[in-house]
Order: sequence, then C-alpha cells, then structure tokens
Amino acid sequence: MAASRLTRRRRRAGILLSLPAVALVIAFLGVPIGQAIYYSMTSWNGLTSTWIGPSTYSTALSDPIFWRVLENNALLLLCIPFALGIPLGIAALLNEHVRGWRFFRSVYFLPTAVSWVVIGMVALQFFAADGTLNKLLADLGLGSTATDMLAGSHSALAALAITFVWSMLGTNTIIFLTGMATLDPTLIEAARVDGLARRQIFVRVTLPLLTRFIQFAFVITVISAFSALFSLIFVMTGGGPGLGTTTLEFFVYQTGFAQGQFGTGALYGIILFVIMIFVGLVQLRLIKPADEEGS
Amino acid sequence: MAAAPVDPARPARPAPTGPPLPSARSRQRLTTGPVFLLMVVVALVMLYPFYYLLNNAFRNQTQYDQQHGHSVAGWTQLFQNLPVGSELLNSTIVCAAAIVIILVVSTSSGFAFAKLRYRGSGTVFLLVVAALMVPLQSIIIPEYVNMAKFNLVSSYTGAVLVYAALGTPFATFLMATYYRGISDELIEAAVMDGLSYERTFLQIALPLSLPAIATITVLQFIQIWDDLLVGLLFLPTNDRTITVGLAALSSGRTTSIPVLMAGSLISAVPAIGVYLIFQRHLVKGLTLGMGK
Repeated sequence: MAASRLTRRRRRAGILLSLPAVALVIAFLGVPIGQAIYYSMTSWNGLTSTWIGPSTYSTALSDPIFWRVLENNALLLLCIPFALGIPLGIAALLNEHVRGWRFFRSVYFLPTAVSWVVIGMVALQFFAADGTLNKLLADLGLGSTATDMLAGSHSALAALAITFVWSMLGTNTIIFLTGMATLDPTLIEAARVDGLARRQIFVRVTLPLLTRFIQFAFVITVISAFSALFSLIFVMTGGGPGLGTTTLEFFVYQTGFAQGQFGTGALYGIILFVIMIFVGLVQLRLIKPADEEGS
Repeated sequence: MAAAPVDPARPARPAPTGPPLPSARSRQRLTTGPVFLLMVVVALVMLYPFYYLLNNAFRNQTQYDQQHGHSVAGWTQLFQNLPVGSELLNSTIVCAAAIVIILVVSTSSGFAFAKLRYRGSGTVFLLVVAALMVPLQSIIIPEYVNMAKFNLVSSYTGAVLVYAALGTPFATFLMATYYRGISDELIEAAVMDGLSYERTFLQIALPLSLPAIATITVLQFIQIWDDLLVGLLFLPTNDRTITVGLAALSSGRTTSIPVLMAGSLISAVPAIGVYLIFQRHLVKGLTLGMGK
C-alpha cells in the first residue's frame, strides 16, 4: 500500500518535472513543424493562406531554380572528405604526443567560440580581389594565378567551403582524439610487435576501431554544412553571385523573408528537414547500441 | 586525458631481431621535429584570422590601404556607427534569460526522465531529443508568423523563447545522461527520509549536477551569443545583439573595413574569453554528444 502510494507520488513528480521542457519543445518546435507541413501545401503570405494541396511539392520539384540550389548543397558535400581527412591526420599526429599537443588542441578548437559573422567578415577580406590570398600568391611569384574567388559562382562556393573546413577542423580533431583515447594501446603494441609499419597500423588497426567516431564526425559535418552556414553565407556572399552560394537553408530565408512567399519557403524548409532526418538516421543507428547498454 | 607517452612495457618486450631500442628512438626523433613543425604551421593557419582582426582593427582607412601604421580611428567611428554598449548589454540579457530557462527545464526534465520514469516517459524523452533533428530553417517561417501574431517580436521575449526551445533538446539529453549516473539508492534513501521527489531533486540531485550545468551554460552561451538568424528576425532594431548589429553593419557595405574589424573584435572577445576559461566544459559537451 505504502509502496504504491510512493509509486504514484513518483509518477506525479515525474510528469510535473518533465512538463516544462515538453511544453517548451512542443510549443516552439513541434507546433511550427506541423504548421510548416500544413502551410507548405498552401499559398501563404503570412496573413492569409489558400489551400492548394500536395501538388505544391510537384510544382516546387519541377522548378529548375530549386535544383540549382540543391546542386550547391551537393557541391558543398565535396568538401566533406577534407573536413574529415585533415582533422583525422592531425589527430593521429597529435595522438603521438607531440610536444605541446594540449596547446595545439586548444588553438585548433578556438574558431568554435567565434561567430560565423566574424569568421565570414575575415574570410571576405581573405578571398577578396585585393585580399590576403592574392597578396600571398603574388609574394610567392604566382601573381598570374590571382583571381577574385568571390566573383565566380563555383569559386565563391569553394571559398565558402574552405572557410567551413577551416572552422570545422578543431571540432573534428577533438572527436577523433576522443576516439583515439578509447583505443586499447596493447592492440597497437601487438601490431607493432607483429612488425607492421606505422602507416599500416593506422590503416588496419586504428581506422577500423574509429568507425563510430568517423560516422559521428560525418553526421555533424553534413548537418552543419546544410543547416549552420546561414550567417556565413549572409555575411560572405549574400547567396551570390547569382545563385552561386545559395544553399537550401539560405533559399528558405530568401523565399520566405525576401520574397514574401511564406508557403513555398515553408516547403523548402520541410525538404531540408527530410534531408536532415535521412542524415540523422545514420546517427541514430550509431547511438542505439550505447543506449541499450545504458538502460 | 592520459598523456602516457612512451610505454613502460618496452624494456620487458622481447627483442627478437637486432637492437630495436635505438632504431625506434631515432625514428621517433626523426618524426617529432617535422611533425612539431607541421602542427605549428596548422596553428598559424588557425590563428591567422585573429591576428588579422587585431592588426586591422587598430587602423584607419588609409593605414589599412597601405597596410602600415596603427591608430584608434576605427574604434571612434565604430562607436558612432554602432551602439556597441547597449548591444553588448542586449546580448548579455538575451543569453542570460535563455540560459536560465534552458537550465530550469532541462535539469528538472532530465531528472524526471532518468529517475522518475512513468508510463510513456521513455517515448516522451525520445520525442524531446528527436527535436534536435529539426533544423531552425524548417520552422523559422511559421515561428516568425506565430510570434508576430502574439506580438512577441517587439521585445526580447520572442528571441529568448526561441533560443530556449532550440537549446532544450540537447540540454535535456545531457542532463538525463548525467542523472542516470547517480545511484537510485541515493534518491530512494532521500525519499525514505521523508523528502518529496521534488525536494530530492532540488536538494540532492541538482547540487550533484553542477558540472553538467556548467557544460550546458558554456555551450549555450557561445551558441546564442554567436547567433545571427534568430536575432535578425525576432529582435527589434533597438534590442539587437552585438552579433546581429555587426552583421547589419557589414551588409551596408559602406562601412570601412577597420571599423568592421573593430566591431568583430569586440563581439568576439566575450565568447573567446568564455572559451579560454571553460574549454574543458565545451570539449565535454561535445564528447557527451557522442554518447560517450
């Protein structure tokens, strides 16, 4: 009898304490996503909406501009091997306990603290026609290769991608260092005793054991590339030249707030959400084993 | 993190062929030099923008064009063009208010999901955490219209609520993970002593979770301080945060570069300061996100 009263009290406390978080998430994340799905099938200017139906999706998907924007997202994915490979190499080297590795780790992670607005502002000066990059090339006697990267649409996207890889370097390095710290040193030692060269040990022993961490870094990097670059694009290129650096997330903002087509903007937002879910499923598969262990 | 460099087991290791010790050592010496240099080069690449900011924030337009000489002209102009003081204050207020809400709801719900399970609480927890997958851009348009309807875009309120909601899923996940590490016996013992579950949370669990609270505070501070999109849409012009003010200033394209660099510097300093003091917590937040 006393036990059941206790259970009831515990249940009541549990509901009471979890309620504020649930309410906040439902009101400001759950409801808007439902509204976005509804309004994506309407013509909506923010005040009045007219129901159209699912055909809005086929209309949007047959718009060449939409595919031009999605192509930018796809091109942005080309930088992922660099965004993962460079930090993997750095982490492998730092893990050998280079003198001052803690200091290096802090320095590499520093951009995490700085806003995309500030990073974009400096990157803008770096890539500008009379900017640091071209001065550097001129100093190296490569003045003839100088270009205004931000003037061409593909080169502007490349400039954006380089800035992105630069700013992700520290985060991914830390993910890989954390992974390497979990490795059993005796495995590496055994491989060394077996006569494997360093490079072979890294490829055959270390890399397979890091799979989980590499997948995690991959997911974080793709999610950031698709949904965290708004401010960088806003400051660096404004989406241009033309549609050169307009990715889907920036297109949502443009369509909704610059052109006032709230319904179509919401629709692009839903497509972005679907892409993110797809990427997220990879991660869900990752954390599942750990979760089952815990509960 | 253990830095255990050279394994102590080495002398005990059988040496089947020749003398392995000297060769291993010389190989290490050979690689340490170039590797160290390489790390220095990477560090320079990472630090370059900060050097650029510092160098060019203290120049006027002519000095910038010639890349020679320093002055504080940019700063005087910055304070004329941008209400730096009030925007720094706005940033602080918005950050503090959102972080307080995030901490209140994530500690209490994290405790409930970890220790006060009720029928369906697992599903509710999953739903809250799944909200992590919702990109801001996917909800920003309905969110904006809702806030405008309730007249919440004319003050801090709208932005604070959006920041709080965006930060809650991860913070709840982190707190629940943390509270799972506290033994059930400790909680039950407190309840047996006559404390209510709510008081047990406040008096026993909450003080134990200060490290996780610190992690959330630091993560969220940097996140909100550095945000542009929410502030741009949900804050009226006079309540802008420093990051939004700076982006607006730069999109004018008429402002001189030293002024923008000075603005960048002053907006970046608080977040960098927090990073340098609390980077341990940031790293922990990242690794906790990995489920480690």
